[in-house]
Amino acid sequence: MRRGAFYCVLAVVPAVALAGCASQSISFRSVPAEQEALPPVTPADAPSMYTYDPWERLNRFTYRFNARFDEAVFLRVSNAYRRVPSPVRAGVHNFFGNLSEVDSVINYVLQWRLKRSARSLGRFVINTTIGIGGLFDAAAKLKLPGAPTGFGTTLAMWGMHPGPYLVIPFLGPSTLRDGIGFFGDYGTSYGIDVANLYRGNVSWGLGAANAVDQRSNINFRYYSTGSPFEYENIRFLYVRKRLIEDEGLRAKDAAKGAKSTPREQNELDQPAGK
Amino acid sequence: MKFSDTSLARESRFRDHVVHFGVAALLSGAGLVHGAEPSTPAVAVPAQGYAAGLADSVGLRATVFGTPPQNLAPMPSRVPLVEINISLPWARPVPDVFWFDRKLRVWFSAQAKPAPLAIVISGTGSDGNNSKLSSLRGALYGAGYHVLTMPSPTFPGFIVSASSTGVAGDLMQDGRDLYAAMQQIIARLPRKVRVTEIDVLGYSLGGANAAVVKSIDAGEGKLKIHRAVMIDPPVSLFSSVGRLDRLFAVSVGSGDDAIERLYRRLYAELANLYRASDRVQVDEDFLLGAAATALQTDAEFSAAIALSFRVNLVNVFFAGDLYAGTGVVVDPKHPPKVGDSLEETQRKLRNMPFADYFTKVFAPYYLKRRPQATAASLIADNRLDVIGDTLRNDPDYYAQANSDDVILDQQELAWLQDTLGPRIAVYDHGGHLGNIGERQQVSDMLKMLGGSWPVPAK
Repeated sequence: MRRGAFYCVLAVVPAVALAGCASQSISFRSVPAEQEALPPVTPADAPSMYTYDPWERLNRFTYRFNARFDEAVFLRVSNAYRRVPSPVRAGVHNFFGNLSEVDSVINYVLQWRLKRSARSLGRFVINTTIGIGGLFDAAAKLKLPGAPTGFGTTLAMWGMHPGPYLVIPFLGPSTLRDGIGFFGDYGTSYGIDVANLYRGNVSWGLGAANAVDQRSNINFRYYSTGSPFEYENIRFLYVRKRLIEDEGLRAKDAAKGAKSTPREQNELDQPAGK
Repeated sequence: MKFSDTSLARESRFRDHVVHFGVAALLSGAGLVHGAEPSTPAVAVPAQGYAAGLADSVGLRATVFGTPPQNLAPMPSRVPLVEINISLPWARPVPDVFWFDRKLRVWFSAQAKPAPLAIVISGTGSDGNNSKLSSLRGALYGAGYHVLTMPSPTFPGFIVSASSTGVAGDLMQDGRDLYAAMQQIIARLPRKVRVTEIDVLGYSLGGANAAVVKSIDAGEGKLKIHRAVMIDPPVSLFSSVGRLDRLFAVSVGSGDDAIERLYRRLYAELANLYRASDRVQVDEDFLLGAAATALQTDAEFSAAIALSFRVNLVNVFFAGDLYAGTGVVVDPKHPPKVGDSLEETQRKLRNMPFADYFTKVFAPYYLKRRPQATAASLIADNRLDVIGDTLRNDPDYYAQANSDDVILDQQELAWLQDTLGPRIAVYDHGGHLGNIGERQQVSDMLKMLGGSWPVPAK
């Protein structure tokens, strides 16, 4: 399940902060011109500042529902969960991450990014065996860090536009495409049903544990800004974040098409996500 | 709800400035223009000038990025932290759009043994638990204080739950609201907490608030506040804010077009950075790295600072207009409901400087209630001089200031030095709040609070 993909944006929001953290080291390698198959993005390419949100009224009520649910249930549970010793929580997190690897393998194939698919498969095999059923991320220690993907990204690669903004109950901000992606991911996991976890007796408990794990790893609290414009702000950021990611995908895809294998190599060398 | 502050420290550092996100946050958080360009065109310095000159990149950079991690004072590895949500008896009916701000939220860290209580007030528009407060909390807790951190009276959560007017920004009125709220909070602290004495601190506007609260308490004596420390306080609220408005005008421009241009540049910049990175997602690390890469010039730093302030102002403006019924963007007869879009309202407010808030909301509201007041007297009432004599004569007021602070000019800094005499420490770096948590700042602050700040013989 890739529930995280939705909430992840929420984690991003605060990050937009200038907040003193110049120490972060990320390499922004400049890509040699011959590898750049697409021209750079120019200001004129930026999407409008307005967001397509025909279901705004419903979305706003859903947003409030999510905020209330989060305050009343989700946040309390995940805060209580924080008292569990961190190695245990890390194990739980790795376990669910490993399960979602299966979905990544399939979606990378659908995206025709076979090396990445192979990498996800390798990670799944290593972590399931050496990592004792996925409790430890052994693959990351072997310089094979995770790079999850999902059906929403696959749809984007296939050229599907994000569509209207959509706030999904319990899950949070999304777009129509990403919403379909989420259910696609869930359907895939359910269909494959690794170790009978998704359809067996424990599936409800597991789903709940997964949700708590995801929530406790997302540093977001509804309305901590106190701002009446939070809905607008989150919508703005979520949609642009996804557009930038789509843009990056297209560029990488085009670069790959332009027969620049070194680039794909680099992609594999680098840790992705955190 | 309890959790250790250490787990929050890193997170809240991110949350900090951009606790106010949206357009402006996105814009301010990451680069604005051609980060790679080597030239550093300084923003034209307004005639009024800045203490050490606006073109001082070091001060601007410090203001944007804060204290470098290697300069931070050591912090206790664990600081207990409890969130307290409190309904105040004088709270007004909560407007529909502010349904989530029903209670005042403050954060408390208790010592196991009897200890002095340090109350820390946040800066303009900020909540009671951000990265600056985290630094201060860590330092104070490590030095043996119970620590209570409070939002600014200009934070929407405070305006809705604790303000008696809803129109924030009046130094004395905000001070009275804060003082009343403090009494309620202290009465409801966990019973086992033993407080030996109370000190107040604050940064930026919160510094001025802290001093005013102590001066009110000197008259009423309900909390018997001992010492007050102001960290980078403004001297004249409205001229500091005016300076930020001008910064906005010179670094961003005015009107929708200017903001849209900025947004488009930023979007393109981020998209290209993302392409050139190996990231799977646009996540925290990516954005912070992008901000550090792209924010290079004084113009960009200035825009980031100005925008960050403007985002706060939008909230204050909106709340004030709603409560005062002044009808600038909120129709007093038909206030917005939960399902209503606020995009257009936000767009209008984004383009309005503080001067508009003053003339269209603040002044009309207070002039109606204070028959003797004039616009000029309202401005004068919002200078630290209103408690000037107290600051001058009472040895329990202290301040820390930076000579390259963007919110002060030279005269104002001189006024602070003259008024407080040996009770002020002036640093030659840090910009506005860019040295909070730094070793020197923390050690001086603790000496001031503890009464051991060296007062040289005259």
